[in-house]
Amino acid sequence: MTTLLWTIFHVLVFPGLLFCVVVGLLLAGLDRKLVARMQNRVGPPLLQPWYDFLKCCGKETIIPRHARRGLFLAAPVLGFAALITAALFIPVFSYSVYSTSADLVVILYLLTVVGVSMIVGAAASGSPFAGVGLSREMVAMISYELPFVLVMLAVGRMAGVGTPLGVTFSLQAIVDWQAANGNLLFHWSMIPAALAMLFVIPCEIGMHPFDIAEAETEICEGTLAEYSGPPAGLFRLTHCVKMYVMCALFCVLFLGGISTGYAALDALVMVVLSVVLTFVTMSVPHAVCARFKVEQVFKFYWTVVAGLALISLILVWLGL
Amino acid sequence: MTFDFSNFINNFPILAIMSLFLGAFVSSLVGRRSAKVRNTVVFLSMLISLVLILALIKPVLLEGKIINYWLGNWEPVNGWAFGNSLEVDALSLFFALIVVVAVFVSGVYSFFYMSHDDSLVNYYTLFLMLSGSVLGLVLSGDLFNMFVMIEIMTFTAVALTAFRNHYEGALEGAFKYLVVGSLGSTSVLIGIALIYSQMHTLNLAQIAAMLPGYDSPVILIAFAFLFVGFGSKAFLFPFHPLAADAHAVAPASISLMISGVLTKCGVYGIIRLCYCLYQNMDQTFVQYFVTGIGVISMFVCVTMAFNQHNFKRLLAFHSISQVGYVITVIGLGSALGMSAGLFHAMNHTIFKGLLFLTAGAVQHATGSLDLDELGGLSKKMPGTCALFLIGAASISGLPPFNGFASKWMIYQATFQKAGETGNFFFVVVCVAALITSVLTLASFIKVAQSVFFGQLNLKFANTKEVSLGMRIPMWILAALCILPGLFPDKVQQWLLTPATQAAMNAPGYIDAAMGSGYAASFAIPAYQPQQIFLSGAWQPVMWLLLLISVTLAVCIVALLGGDEKATVTSEISADTDCDPKYDSFFSGEASVYSQVGGSDLFWGFKHNWRRYFSFMHDWHSGVVNDYTLYGTAAIAVALVLCVIFL
Amino acid sequence: MIFTNYLVCFVLIALGIYCMVTKKNLFKICVGMGLVDYGVNLLIVSVGFHAGGTAPIFNISELTRDSFFVDPIPQALTLTSIVIGACTTAMTLSLIIMLYKQYGTLESDQIRRLRG
Repeated sequence: MTTLLWTIFHVLVFPGLLFCVVVGLLLAGLDRKLVARMQNRVGPPLLQPWYDFLKCCGKETIIPRHARRGLFLAAPVLGFAALITAALFIPVFSYSVYSTSADLVVILYLLTVVGVSMIVGAAASGSPFAGVGLSREMVAMISYELPFVLVMLAVGRMAGVGTPLGVTFSLQAIVDWQAANGNLLFHWSMIPAALAMLFVIPCEIGMHPFDIAEAETEICEGTLAEYSGPPAGLFRLTHCVKMYVMCALFCVLFLGGISTGYAALDALVMVVLSVVLTFVTMSVPHAVCARFKVEQVFKFYWTVVAGLALISLILVWLGL
Repeated sequence: MTFDFSNFINNFPILAIMSLFLGAFVSSLVGRRSAKVRNTVVFLSMLISLVLILALIKPVLLEGKIINYWLGNWEPVNGWAFGNSLEVDALSLFFALIVVVAVFVSGVYSFFYMSHDDSLVNYYTLFLMLSGSVLGLVLSGDLFNMFVMIEIMTFTAVALTAFRNHYEGALEGAFKYLVVGSLGSTSVLIGIALIYSQMHTLNLAQIAAMLPGYDSPVILIAFAFLFVGFGSKAFLFPFHPLAADAHAVAPASISLMISGVLTKCGVYGIIRLCYCLYQNMDQTFVQYFVTGIGVISMFVCVTMAFNQHNFKRLLAFHSISQVGYVITVIGLGSALGMSAGLFHAMNHTIFKGLLFLTAGAVQHATGSLDLDELGGLSKKMPGTCALFLIGAASISGLPPFNGFASKWMIYQATFQKAGETGNFFFVVVCVAALITSVLTLASFIKVAQSVFFGQLNLKFANTKEVSLGMRIPMWILAALCILPGLFPDKVQQWLLTPATQAAMNAPGYIDAAMGSGYAASFAIPAYQPQQIFLSGAWQPVMWLLLLISVTLAVCIVALLGGDEKATVTSEISADTDCDPKYDSFFSGEASVYSQVGGSDLFWGFKHNWRRYFSFMHDWHSGVVNDYTLYGTAAIAVALVLCVIFL
Repeated sequence: MIFTNYLVCFVLIALGIYCMVTKKNLFKICVGMGLVDYGVNLLIVSVGFHAGGTAPIFNISELTRDSFFVDPIPQALTLTSIVIGACTTAMTLSLIIMLYKQYGTLESDQIRRLRG
C-alpha cells in the first residue's frame, strides 16, 4: 500500500506532474521576463504562462473539418505524458525514483516521442501551415539529434571507463561516477561536449532563434496553427515543461555530482541551476539573435555543434 | 511397437516443406476448376506447415534438441556425410518461424487482396513454391540444397514480381531482379564449387568441422563469393536498387515476402557462413567487413528513401536499411550483437510486413501509390491509418513498440563493442545507427503526412476502407508489433537466447550431425555459452504503466480543472459543415485544396545535402548494365579484400 | 589438361559478365547470362575430374577397392545447374518478349522507368 502511495506521489507530485509543471511554468515566465529586461521592456508578469494556460483551458476546442479527430485530441496528451515520464526517469541528483529502469537511450527516445506527438497532432490537423511546420520540426529534430547522440556517447564513455564493459548508458551510473570523480563539466575534455549540449537544449525545446517549426511570423505557429482551447494549452505546457526537463538532463549529465543528500535541497539546487541554464541557453540567444532559416539550423548543428561534441568524444576515446 | 512422439518429431521439418510444395502442385491441379477448392488447398498447406513448425518450438528452442533428418536415411559413414540432410537447430527454427508466420499472413491477405486479378492459380502455385523454397533454405543442412532453394526462391520471386505485368514497370523490375539476381546466385554456386573442390563434401556440418583448420587461398575466395552471393539475396549494398525496383511493382503480399522473408534468407546465409562454416567472426577484418557493409546499406538506403515519390519504393529502401541494421550487429561477433540482430530481423519482418500490407490496402482502395497525389486518407480509411501508424512507430523505433526494443539492443551492442575493444570504428557505427533511426522517423512522417493526413485529393473522394479480410492479417502483424515490444525479456528468454547460442555454437551443430566428438577430432574447441550483458536497462511494462498513469493523471487534472463547457468539443454535423470556423486556417482567405506533398517536405535537410542526393539519384540510374556492374564490382572488391586480409 | 579447363571456365565467366555489363541489347544480356552459367557448369565438372578415371556407373557388386572413377557428385550438381540455367534463360526470354511489347525497344538504357 505504501509503495502504491509512493508511486502515486512520485507520478503526481515529485518529481512528476506537479513539480515539473510548476518549475516549467516558472522557467517560462522567467525567460520571458529576462528577455524583456534585456530588450529594455517591462515584460509580462512572472506568472503569465500560468494565466495563458488557464485561459486556454477555458476556451472552446475547435476541430477543423480536415482534421482527424481522435489523433488531433490524443496527440497533446500523449506528448505531455511521455515528457513527464521522461522527467520521472531523470534523477534529481541523488534522489532517483525510476532511474534504474531506464537509460540515456530511453530518455532520448521519450523526448523523440514528445516531438513526434506534436508532429502527428499537426499532421492530423490537416492544415497546410501545420504541414510546413511539421516538416520543419522534423528537420530541427534531425539537426539536434546528431550532436545529442555524440554528447551522449562521450558521457557514456567517460563514466563507463572503470566498468567491465568500458561504457555505460545508465543515468544512475553516470551520476554515481560523478559523485565519486567530480562533475563532468570540470573535466577539460568534456567542456566541448557540454557546450554542444548547451546548444542542443534550445533547439530541442524550440526556443527563439531555433523556433523554425513555430515561426509565427512566417507560418502562423506552424505545427500549432489549428490548435485551440485545452489541447493548445497542453502543447504550450509541454513546451514549458520541456525547458525544465532539458535543463535537468544537462545537470545530471554534467553536474551530477552535486548532491547535498537531502531531496528537498537537491530539488532546490536543481531549480536554481535550471534558472541559470535557462538564462544562458534560452534567454540570451533569444534576446540577441534573429531566427535562423531552416537550412541554416541544420547546417549549424551538423557542423559546429556536432563538431564540438565530436571533439569531446575523440578526446574521451583517447583517454584524455 | 509403440508410437514414439519424440522420434516422430524428426519428420516435422521435411513435412512442413513438403506440405508447401505439395500444396503448390495440388492447387495448380485442382485450382482451375474452382476458386474455393484452390483457396482451401492453399490455406491448408500453409496451416499445416505453420502448425508443424510451431510444434517444434518446444523440443528445439526450449529443450535445445537439434533435429537431423537424413533424406533416404543416408546417414554418415565413417565420419563422411554422403546424403542430403535437413538440420534444424534453434537458429534454423527461429528463421523458420519467421518464414511460416509471414507466409501465413501474406497468404491470407492474398485471398482478399488479389481477388481482382486473373490467373490466380499461377499466383498461388508460385507463392507456395516461394514459401516452400524459403523454408527449405533455412532448414537445410546441405550447401547445394541451399543453392537449389535459392534458385527456386529467386525464380518464383521474379515471376511474382512480374505477375501484374500490366503495371507500369512490373516487367522492368522483374527483369533487373532476374539478371542481377542471377549474378548473385552464380556467385553462390561458384563459392559452393570451390568449397567442394577442397572439402569433397556438401554437408554443412562436415564442412564446418573441416574448414577452420584448412588453409588454402581457394577457401578465402570461396568465402568472398558466398558472402556476396548471400548478400545479394539480402539486397545489401550495392544490390539494393534491385529490391527497390522489385518491391515497388510487385503485389503487396509479395513485397511482404521479398522484404520480410527473402532478405532474411540472405541474413541466415551470412550467419551460417560466418559463424558456423568459417567460424571466423573473431577476426577483426571480418567484423569490419560485415559491419561496414551493414552500415553502408543502412545509411545509403535510408537517405535514398528521402528521394522517393512511390509509397512502396520508399518502403523498399527502408527494408534494406533495416536489414543493414541486422547485418551491422551480426558483424560485431558478440552474443549481444547476435541476439539484437536476430530480434531486429524478426521485428523487421513484422513491421515491414505490416507497412507493405497497408501500402497494399491503400493501393487496393485508391489505385495509386504516388505520395505527391495521395493525402487525407485517414478520414476515409481510419483502420488502415491506425495500422500504418503502429507500423511506422515500430520501424522508427518509438517506445513501446518492438522496433524500439531491438534498436535499443543494437545501440547497446555496438557501444559495448566499442567500449570493449576501445575501437573508434564501432562508435561511428553506433552514431550511424542512431542517426539512421531518426532519418527513418523523418521518412515515415513524410509518408504519414502525404498519404494519410493533410487534405483529401478530390480524386479519391469515393475511397472506401478495405475489407475486414484484409485488415485481420494486418491486425495480427500489429499485435505482433506490440507484444515483443512490451515483453522483450520473454522474447529474449524463449526465442533469442536459444537461437543466439545455437548460432554461435558451431561444435554443437557439427556434433549433432556427425556424431559427438566429431568437432573435437578436428580440434574445434568446445563451445562455452556466452553471457549477454546489458549496460543499461529497459523495462517496457514499467514504462507503459508510468505512461498510462501519467496520461490518466493528465486527464483527471484536465477534467477537474477544466471548465464545463470547454471540454465539450464541437462535432462536425450538417449545420456546422458550412461554418467557416471549421475550415483550415488560410491567412484569412477562403480555404482551398492545399496539400503539402511528399517531395516538398524536409526541404531544409535536403537542401544541405543536395549534391549527395543528386549524385545518388544519378547513381541509381535504372539501367540494368549499371546494376550488374555494381554487383560485379562488389564481387571483385570482396575477393581482393578477402585475399589480402583473411 | 585440367588447368585448361579452369582457364576456359574463368574466361567464359569473365566474358559473360563483360557481356552483361557492356551490351545494351537485352538478348545479348541474356546470352551473357548463359555464358556465365556455362562457365560455372564447366567449373563444377572440372572440380570432380580425376585424370584417368572412368565414368562413375557401377553396380554394388562391381565396386571394388581399386576402382578409380571421377567424382559423381559434381556431375549431379551440374545437371541440376544446367536445368536451372535453362529455366533462367526461358524466363529471361519471356520477360524480354513482354518488355518489347510494352516498351517497344530492346535497348536496356531506354528501359529505366524505375530509377533514382
